[in-house]
Amino acid sequence: MDPFLAEIEQTIARWHGIVAPNEPGRRMAADLITIIRAFEAQRGALAFEDEPCSFEAALLQTMER
Amino acid sequence: MSDLADLSLVEAADAVRRGEVRAVELLAALWANLEAANPKLNATIWLDRAGAEAAAQAADRAVRNKAKLGPLHGVPMAHKDMYYQAGRLSTCGSAIRRDWHPATTATVIERMAAAGAYVFGGLNMAEFAQNPTGHNRTFGDCHNPWNPPYITGGSSSGSGVSVAARYNYAALGSDTGGSIRLPASACGVTGIKPTQTRVSRYGVMPLSFTCDNVGPLCRTAQDCARIMTVIAGRDPRDPTSADVPVPDYEAALDGDLRGLRVGVPATWFLDGADEPVVAALRRATDVLKARGAAVREIELPLMDAVAAYGGVISRAEGATIHAQWMRDRPQDYGGSISGRMYPAYAIPAVYYVEALSRRGPILKAFADAVFSEVDVLATPTVRTCLPTLAETDIDHGPAGTEHRFLAVSANTRPFNYLGLPAVSLPCGFDPNGCPIGLQIAGRPFAEARILRVADAYQRDTDWHLRRPPVLAAHVDGKPARVGISLA
Repeated sequence: MDPFLAEIEQTIARWHGIVAPNEPGRRMAADLITIIRAFEAQRGALAFEDEPCSFEAALLQTMER
Repeated sequence: MSDLADLSLVEAADAVRRGEVRAVELLAALWANLEAANPKLNATIWLDRAGAEAAAQAADRAVRNKAKLGPLHGVPMAHKDMYYQAGRLSTCGSAIRRDWHPATTATVIERMAAAGAYVFGGLNMAEFAQNPTGHNRTFGDCHNPWNPPYITGGSSSGSGVSVAARYNYAALGSDTGGSIRLPASACGVTGIKPTQTRVSRYGVMPLSFTCDNVGPLCRTAQDCARIMTVIAGRDPRDPTSADVPVPDYEAALDGDLRGLRVGVPATWFLDGADEPVVAALRRATDVLKARGAAVREIELPLMDAVAAYGGVISRAEGATIHAQWMRDRPQDYGGSISGRMYPAYAIPAVYYVEALSRRGPILKAFADAVFSEVDVLATPTVRTCLPTLAETDIDHGPAGTEHRFLAVSANTRPFNYLGLPAVSLPCGFDPNGCPIGLQIAGRPFAEARILRVADAYQRDTDWHLRRPPVLAAHVDGKPARVGISLA
């Protein structure tokens, strides 16, 4: 088995008690590598002060007037 | 087939209120189409004809008694089967909730009932609102009314199909990554995903607390405007709903696009797009130009970040909601649903919080850069010609099928992460006879503006009036409402 996929399956089983339900699930789990690469490309963009609650404020700040 | 079923929601409601048509006649007209077309399309999960007839008769009595009538008076509707009505079945498209009857009623259902509408059934949908195609293992796949082997779009598949096939005047859908706009596009109807927080989600099955939205699929932008005016606004039972005044969306539809700045993204939304889709977009923007809009290409900032983060939030939240069932009864999910949820359990919490934390700053930067240059964005709703159900069947297809499946929602997902309102409306057909959708997006709470653009477009085009060939009485593709008399 692909070592990356094996690691993912072990992590999910250990942390959540959930096993791969089927082959498409395994294929899509192996595809998590694309999420890792996408997040790698964003490294350094998160500011120290950024916090989740700023989204609703941004909606109001940028709203149609 | 009755012409009454070809009326728009607004025409139908206004005709009942004026006493020109009886509510029972509207119901009968829809039911005739339902019986003719639904066996081929599979858009419904449950129906309550006796209850609907009683509601229609009560609506007619109210007209006769000169009672105060709401803007949706006497209009029969069925909705995606995830809008709770106390004591009524709500399957959420799933085997797990096949026999589930909620104890509460969704705020949007209550608001539409107060406006005079009533519910005659629950519509087919992707299991737990989790696919963009219309596949459903438990209740059967939904079929495209224009070409049945092709996808309907999802997850509000039955909503798009029933409105397109003239057995529903309007249907609520839900949109977490495109689930209103995709079936609107694929079925040739008009659907709006409102601004995040614009419409209450109380009593609606959750998929992603952060990205779920409630909105209508209808024949026209004017219909969407009427429903939005009824359902939008603060709801104390949904603390995430915004306390922002609700305009009369219908009153804003004046057809005037003079001075409007329309941006067509130069990249990303057209990456890998099929030529018929690009050509339809070009023709659509020409229509807007003829109405006075200025159309220009625009570069969109931060799209890689939007794409990276947008996919993480809803997957992590959906996986969280379903964790216990995924442990206890994974076999009760369709393979494509459990297979898609499974990887999300490996997404680190730090990724999830990063995606949430950057959402506000990214929205602000995006809005400042884009909406200082243009008022709305125009893109295809789906970049490619529609695939078939077989080509996107993850359960039975070869490796790689999931990529074709996920590509369907590439152009809709960004607006869920950004929280922006977006409407999809029909703007042509692909070589397989399936509709092509035009997506118009605007800044937060710009529903009135994007509906105004959509309505103006529909004043000069007839894509939204065409009947799908599944309704055999009208196979010529011509507009169906010519010569209709309500007298």
